[in-house]
Order: sequence, then structure tokens, then C-alpha cells
Amino acid sequence: MLSRTIAPEIQYADLSQQGETAQLGMWVFITTETLFFGALLFTYFLYRISYPHEFAIAAKDAVLWCGSINIGLIMTSSLTMVLAINAAAEGRRRALIWWLIGTAFLGLGFLGVKGYEYHLDFNDRVVPVINFVMKPGEGPASELFWVFYWVATGLHAIHMTIGICLVLYMLLWRVRRGEITRAYYAPLEVVGLYWSFVDTVWIFLFPAIYLVGRA
Amino acid sequence: MKSGTERDPAMLFIVAWLVLIALTGISIWSAFLGLGMYAPVVQFGIAATQASIVFVLFMRLKGPPSLKWIFAGSGFFWLTFLYGLSFTDYATRQGWPQHF
Repeated sequence: MLSRTIAPEIQYADLSQQGETAQLGMWVFITTETLFFGALLFTYFLYRISYPHEFAIAAKDAVLWCGSINIGLIMTSSLTMVLAINAAAEGRRRALIWWLIGTAFLGLGFLGVKGYEYHLDFNDRVVPVINFVMKPGEGPASELFWVFYWVATGLHAIHMTIGICLVLYMLLWRVRRGEITRAYYAPLEVVGLYWSFVDTVWIFLFPAIYLVGRA
Repeated sequence: MKSGTERDPAMLFIVAWLVLIALTGISIWSAFLGLGMYAPVVQFGIAATQASIVFVLFMRLKGPPSLKWIFAGSGFFWLTFLYGLSFTDYATRQGWPQHF
């Protein structure tokens, strides 16, 4: 079992300072992401307030069970990720590996369900520009809902894909090479921050997309 | 990290996860209650609560360094400008939104 002695980079006094700097760097990135997705949600609120009835009718076609399974998967993946970090902090390498594998699988499961949902959406002809048919009772603004749906879920899926790649990088490179140790696990914690942020984005997309017009 | 800081026990995260799942159930249930214009208030309120749990516990905002709060809060601080100024613009337009 590999377990390297990690020395801080030359600009840091110790590993603790290096770790905190890495963590703050990820928080700066998350700040930009907050504004990015926040602006996207602003357009959603704007259009929903402007066209409440069209949005309610259009959103009924969103596949609730897919969205519900996915919020369960992504929340569970946040749990497994944080348990992986705990395992790293306690030096439990085997548990760390299994929690990371679980996180990656839950992330892949999310994308799998999302992919199947996209397939259902395509068959339901709710893909603006490419394959869209206005249904009875819908107005032109209904298409706006689906534009938001595809842009928001597409961007989120890209973020998820990046997250899965980062988890696999941790698993197959950093952990395997013994670079994630009880003494220094900052890279894993930084990936965990990103992963949980992507979780919070879905937490807001879920009611915006799947819970509209159900009553 | 080392972070040099104590991690929260696994049980705390498991309880937080159970709360998150329960809140999701309540959110879905609320969608079928016919709450009208209050439905999004309830659902996004629940979402904000869930996000706070994730930020504070899973993303360890509650632990040191406290400088994290400034970094994490700055995004929401600037978001209030974006929402405040933009909605002020729309809210002061005549005839918007049409259904009110």
C-alpha cells in the first residue's frame, strides 16, 4: 500500500496552510458558479412570473420520477463523498476507496437516468428548435420553459461529468499513488466542495422544473 | 487538511442526509396540494433550507477557517444585486407582469 510523505509546496509554511489555500480557491470558483447559475435561475423566475400558466402547462410534461430519483441519487452521492473525506481524514484507505467508487457510480447513475429522461423528452417532442410540438392549451411561452430545461439540465450534466472525472482522478491517480493521506487530503476535500455544490444546483433545479403545475 | 481540523462524525452526515431526503419528500408532496402562488415559495424555501444544510455541513462552512464565510457569502452578496436591480427594473415597468 502506497503512502507517501507529502511536503508542502515551496510557497507554503506547512500543509495546513496549503490545504486552506486550496479550499479557499475552490470557494472563489464556487462564488463564480453561484453567480452563473443564479443568473440562469433569474431568467427562470422572470419568465415564470411573466407566463405562469404556460409554464404550468409545459412543466407537466417534465418526467417527475426521473427528477425525483436523480435528486435522491445526487444527495446520496454528496453523503458518500463526505464519508470518503472522513475516511481519508481517519486514514481508512479501504473505506476511502469504496466511498469514492460509490460516489462515482451514483454520479454515473444520475447521468444514466438523465440520459433516459432526455430520450423520453425527445419522444415527447419537447426539444425546442429540433423536435418541438406545441400541445393543446400551450402558448408560445411554453417553449421558453423547455429552453430553460435543456440549458439548465445540460449545463448541470456537464458539471456532473466534470465531477465524475475529478472523483475518478482522485481514485485512480491521487489515492492509488498514495497522495491522499491522513496527513494531507486537501485535494479530495476540494473535489468534495465542487461535488456538493453541483448537488445544491440540482436542489434548486428540481422544484423549478419538476414541481410546477402538478396540482 | 491536513486540514488540521477535526471532521464531523459520520452519523451527523447520515442524519443530515435523512433530513435532506425527508425535505425532498415534503417538497414533492407540496406540489400536489394546490397551494397556488404559495407553492413556489414553499418549494424554493425548502430548497434553500436543503442547500444551507449542504453548504454548512457537507461543504464544512461551519468549520475553520472562518474566512470561508466571506468567500462563500460573496457569491450570494453579489447575487442580491443581480436579483434586486434586475427585478426592480421589471417591477417598475408598466403592464408587467400581465396577469396581475
